[in-house]
Amino acid sequence: MILLRLISWPYARKHVLRSVLTTAGIVLGVAVFIGMHTANQTVLLGFSETVDRIAGKTQLQVTAGDTGFGEEVLDVVQGASTVRVAVPIIEVVVDSNIKGEGNLLVLGVDMTGDRSLRDYDLEGGGDAAVEDPLIFLAQPDSLILSKEFADRNQLATGSRLSLGTSEGQKTFTVRGIITTSGLASAYGGSLAIMDIYAAQHMFGRGRTFDRIDVGMHEGATLADCQRELQALIGPGFDVQPPSGRGQQFEAMLASYSLMVGISSAFALFIGMFIIYNAFSIAVTERRSEIGILRAIGATRAQVRWIFLGESAVIGVIGSLAGLGLGMLMARGIAVGIGALISDVYRIGQAVDEIAISWPLLTLSFTIGVGTSLVAAMLPARNAARLDPIKALQKGNNQTLSVGESRGRAAAAVALALCSIGCLLFATGSRPLFYAGFLCAMVAALLLGPLLTLGLAKIFRPVLRWLRPVEGALAADSLIQAPRRTSASVAALMFSLSLAVAFEGMGRANAASMVGWMDSVLNPDLFVMASQSLDIRTARFPVSMASEIAAVPGVERVQSVRNARTTVRNTPAMVIALEMNSIAETVHSRPVSGVAPDMYRRAAAGEGLVISDNFAELQHLGVGDTVEIAAPYGLIRLPVVGILVEYSDQQGSIMMDRSVFIRYWHDDSVNLFRIYTKPDATASTVRQGVLERFAGRRQVFVLTNSELKTYIMGLISQWFRLTSLQTAIAVLVAILGIINTLTVSIKDRRRELAVLRTVGALHWQVRRTVWLEALTVGFFGLILGAALGALNLYYVLEIVHRDVTGMRLDYQFPMTTMFVLLPTILGAALVAALWPAESAVRGSLVEALEYE
Amino acid sequence: MGMIQLDQVTKRFEGRTQVTALNAVSLTIARGEMVSIVGPSGSGKSTLLNLVGALDRPTSGDVRVDGQPLSGLSDDALTRLRRDKIGFIFQFFNLLPTLTSLENVALPLHLRGWNRARVTERANELLSLVGLADRLSHRPEELSGGQRQRVAIARALSIYPPILLADEPTGNLDSRTGADILALLHDLNERLSATVVIVTHDDGVARSCQRTITLRDGDVVHDVRHSPSRAAGVAAP
Repeated sequence: MILLRLISWPYARKHVLRSVLTTAGIVLGVAVFIGMHTANQTVLLGFSETVDRIAGKTQLQVTAGDTGFGEEVLDVVQGASTVRVAVPIIEVVVDSNIKGEGNLLVLGVDMTGDRSLRDYDLEGGGDAAVEDPLIFLAQPDSLILSKEFADRNQLATGSRLSLGTSEGQKTFTVRGIITTSGLASAYGGSLAIMDIYAAQHMFGRGRTFDRIDVGMHEGATLADCQRELQALIGPGFDVQPPSGRGQQFEAMLASYSLMVGISSAFALFIGMFIIYNAFSIAVTERRSEIGILRAIGATRAQVRWIFLGESAVIGVIGSLAGLGLGMLMARGIAVGIGALISDVYRIGQAVDEIAISWPLLTLSFTIGVGTSLVAAMLPARNAARLDPIKALQKGNNQTLSVGESRGRAAAAVALALCSIGCLLFATGSRPLFYAGFLCAMVAALLLGPLLTLGLAKIFRPVLRWLRPVEGALAADSLIQAPRRTSASVAALMFSLSLAVAFEGMGRANAASMVGWMDSVLNPDLFVMASQSLDIRTARFPVSMASEIAAVPGVERVQSVRNARTTVRNTPAMVIALEMNSIAETVHSRPVSGVAPDMYRRAAAGEGLVISDNFAELQHLGVGDTVEIAAPYGLIRLPVVGILVEYSDQQGSIMMDRSVFIRYWHDDSVNLFRIYTKPDATASTVRQGVLERFAGRRQVFVLTNSELKTYIMGLISQWFRLTSLQTAIAVLVAILGIINTLTVSIKDRRRELAVLRTVGALHWQVRRTVWLEALTVGFFGLILGAALGALNLYYVLEIVHRDVTGMRLDYQFPMTTMFVLLPTILGAALVAALWPAESAVRGSLVEALEYE
Repeated sequence: MGMIQLDQVTKRFEGRTQVTALNAVSLTIARGEMVSIVGPSGSGKSTLLNLVGALDRPTSGDVRVDGQPLSGLSDDALTRLRRDKIGFIFQFFNLLPTLTSLENVALPLHLRGWNRARVTERANELLSLVGLADRLSHRPEELSGGQRQRVAIARALSIYPPILLADEPTGNLDSRTGADILALLHDLNERLSATVVIVTHDDGVARSCQRTITLRDGDVVHDVRHSPSRAAGVAAP
């Protein structure tokens, strides 16, 4: 401790800016880590809280995916011996139509039986707050609003509110306000209650419920009740405590969580580079100090502990600051993710308050301090190994020794070979695949300084040709001090490789989507019950198909019903299609199976067609049998074909409508696909459809291009969050450049002073520093593009193998590089502004005397 | 009018304690004169050289170079004056280690914006002048101390400045090489009529000059002109 006070503290005080920049590396790394994970947990918690608050005293919930089930199931559940109370629920997320309010969660409940599970805590107390309970039940336009929502929008009992229903926009009347009970605060307080039978009618549920909430008799155990219910209603139903829905939600967000994990790991990795860079430089700068310490009796261990102690202090300060910054970031990110999830998954959740997790905070703090210590370990070891005599000698200490270069090169080649070996010989092994990925990244890490040195040597003539003095000196600075520069180049390389990989994945996804949409989504018009393709709770009666077919100009109508269910314990999408008709209109080549036969067998109810990603994730092939537990029986059918199909990230199972109707007792339709006659235009047919259902049904008719634009919009929204992560990673890398340049200016103080002495004007000195920064940025770009190309391959493989199973085409994102080129060079220039100014300030005399 | 004029120049360094490095010094150095400045450590020799070389600014008083007052000039204006009129020679050479002899000598010429062909021609000419025509592509670490100082002199002469300022030019060299460098400076003084100011601890070097100014505690305590024969005699010990 005394050494830290005597040796380290004066050094830190003398180099305040550098200490701050070094600490900033850990601050940002920890902030991104905690911010991303806290935001993720916040969203999950928001969902769980909504589930819990709505669940009230519910102990078990009966569901059948998002398809719902017939009313008769309620009688069966209520008849179970362990069940005290069973109440049906309909849950719908609708657009509130109020600017800035977003969505409203509408809960359809049976108010007469529901109070034993939920506390309605009505304003004014008791039922008296509902103007007239009989009117509330009798009028299907009755709503009870949460106090929070009502207050926010100046609504009171008697106010009117317009909401979208399956029959178009309907005006509802507020007939009660729930005060501050748990229920009222669900979904961020944006909650409305209505009578379940009115909800069935308004939201086109027919005679079905979404869910049954169950309260058990005293003395009955959860397991007993679960077992009894499962036996009574069959395997097509899920009987789970309310917390089980949170797990399903989490499973659905698996791909997003994986990306969060990768991004935050990269941010910490880059932060580690900055610490490593700073400590390598510090060891070099303080050689004489180390020499003196060793000469007067300091042991190697004491020298090592000085540097490790400093890194621990930086780790502690940086981690604490990072935790604070991360918690601030978390809220913004959580709101973004929440909105995205609402749009993409149509899941009712709202960010209420940040989920502060002490284990996560402790983990982040530990990771921050640990990263700092690990990063400083190598420089600390080098410091401890310094020979006191050599340490006291002057000389250039930023170079790499021949032995070190050879050692690095040999290790990098060995790791690269190991990585190639893993790819070639371990195609099926997940651990070997990830080991190969790790080997490739570490090889890149080891090669960083050598590649930087090589590039500097290659580009020196070019830079010298560009600017004989400034260019040559900038290149020489990099050549002379690879230790000083390489960590910044490496940090930039890694962050840019992340940007390239994510952008490449986004573009590959978009390109694959376009290919899929062109071959599969080829109808001229799509008729939907909701503005969003993902709202599957709004449905049409099948009878509409014949009405649409009668619209002039319509050649063919295909009815589509899709619903999320659980297959092999994972969420998957079931798509019910008229297979015979689809066979005639969809011309995509199957990944596996023979097109005519595949459709024929599926249409006859003899098989299932599955999506490529579902086959990949579940390791299924043509001929394998898939079991789906549906509400009205167990489907056991062979896979007859595999298609490229991107309807769902977790995979899709396509079956004939007849199979779906048989096993779900549900002939409703989510979507009608319309092909127009050659002599009809899409716009006139659309008009015809809209006129046919005007005033009777809420229909949304999209043209082919509108639907494609809508889907592409969803995809770009998904990847907008990755851009944020990339920006943060680039920011961390820029910190590295500032750090490197600040040290470079100090190292070259005498050189720059000589330059000024022999006639360099301020702008000429500045230009030298700028050129050095631009060169670092440019090298980072080159190496980042190269590593990004490799990284993209691995990311696409990870997506294919472990995330969505989608087989995405490899496309290097050239346009991204064209955007990154000016961005990074501009950022490097900005990073160089202050160091360049410091290079032209200060005393020439002192600089010339500087040793 | 002298080539270099100091009028009541004072330089103080502020710190925990104030140090006066030069105390109201006034002197004039004529065009083509070769002057040595001597005195014990801390007497103000290097401070005087730095002020004359426009590397530093006086606390008070006025410095004029070739008739131009330096007070009030911006940093860039001082730099322009340095590159047009002053060549520096340092004890530790101050060559840029990554550049070859040719590139080091070419440095000030590039900074002036000369075209590449003219720069190369002049740098070659200067290295020949200092006897290093065969060391053009050598880096400083590949040269002896004397050769490095010759490169530094060639760089200082790159635009044939009217003033050469040398801070202990032989201080880091053995006596034989030091004598060679001193002879070279005398030769340049005679052939180019450059005003040469040498700060030195070496009596021999001081006596080889036409005039010796002695400083002590920031004051000029002696200003002696030597006879030409004596100066020439000491030049080659």
